[in-house]
Amino acid sequence: MGGQSRQQQEATAETAQVDALKAGHPSAWRDLLSCYGPSLLNYATRMLGDRGTAEEILQDSLVNIYRTIDRFEGHCSLKSWLYRGVHNRAIDEIRRRKRYVDVGEDGLEKAFDDKGQWKHDCPGWDGFAAKNFDEKRLLTVVGEQMNRLPHAHREVLLMKEVEGLCATEICAALEISPGNPRIRIHRARAALRAAVVGDRL
Amino acid sequence: MIYLKCSKVIDRISDIIDGQASLFVRMRFYGHLMICKNCRRYFNQFKTVHELAGKVSSDDLPPDFDHVMAFVMDEIEKQDEKKDV
Repeated sequence: MGGQSRQQQEATAETAQVDALKAGHPSAWRDLLSCYGPSLLNYATRMLGDRGTAEEILQDSLVNIYRTIDRFEGHCSLKSWLYRGVHNRAIDEIRRRKRYVDVGEDGLEKAFDDKGQWKHDCPGWDGFAAKNFDEKRLLTVVGEQMNRLPHAHREVLLMKEVEGLCATEICAALEISPGNPRIRIHRARAALRAAVVGDRL
Repeated sequence: MIYLKCSKVIDRISDIIDGQASLFVRMRFYGHLMICKNCRRYFNQFKTVHELAGKVSSDDLPPDFDHVMAFVMDEIEKQDEKKDV
């Protein structure tokens, strides 16, 4: 074991964990739910906008994950697989309610002229400074604005900034190509900045 | 040093804050910020919001996961019993 890198050790531990889950050991399932459950509930709540529905969706997703664990082949991490299960179920629910908000036109592209220079001055923080926004209040604004972003931006930001998934895990969870997350993360961050500052860039 | 356009500077911000940009790109990026008020302002706002987004955690949502856990474990045990029958 001493010669193994940390990555190899984690992979070995995950294989053992998956074997225990596939064997249906209740303690393995309890450990898994204790480890990831609160984060998954947080993700589902922020995606769906209400806690009650998020709990129902999470319960359904986790029971479904239990039923289909035999299909997990280790092509991605267990964490990504869990997020994928909850994400897909949450998106189904959002679409069923016809509340899915797609990403609109990127205002930032219009902010520059043909030479790639700013057409107008970038707005400052004046609005916030005038209202004496301290970090705590600004944090509340950021959280609120994040919950109002289009779902395609919100899902990436929640996974990256709030839940701390890496780009590879986000790709696997959202089933997107490896080149995609860099652009999506950047656009989502830009959209959040625009929402917080209150401009259209 | 090759001049970096404002639009390209803005495109690179996530690479910069994620530590994904090469030393050459970082030098051009920060060199540009020194002379461009708009990009500097945009970058500061972007970075501040990004840092705050990282602090938006589960803290404002009570970690009341117990009943979800109880429900799921109950379902798992029921399904196990069915398998045994």
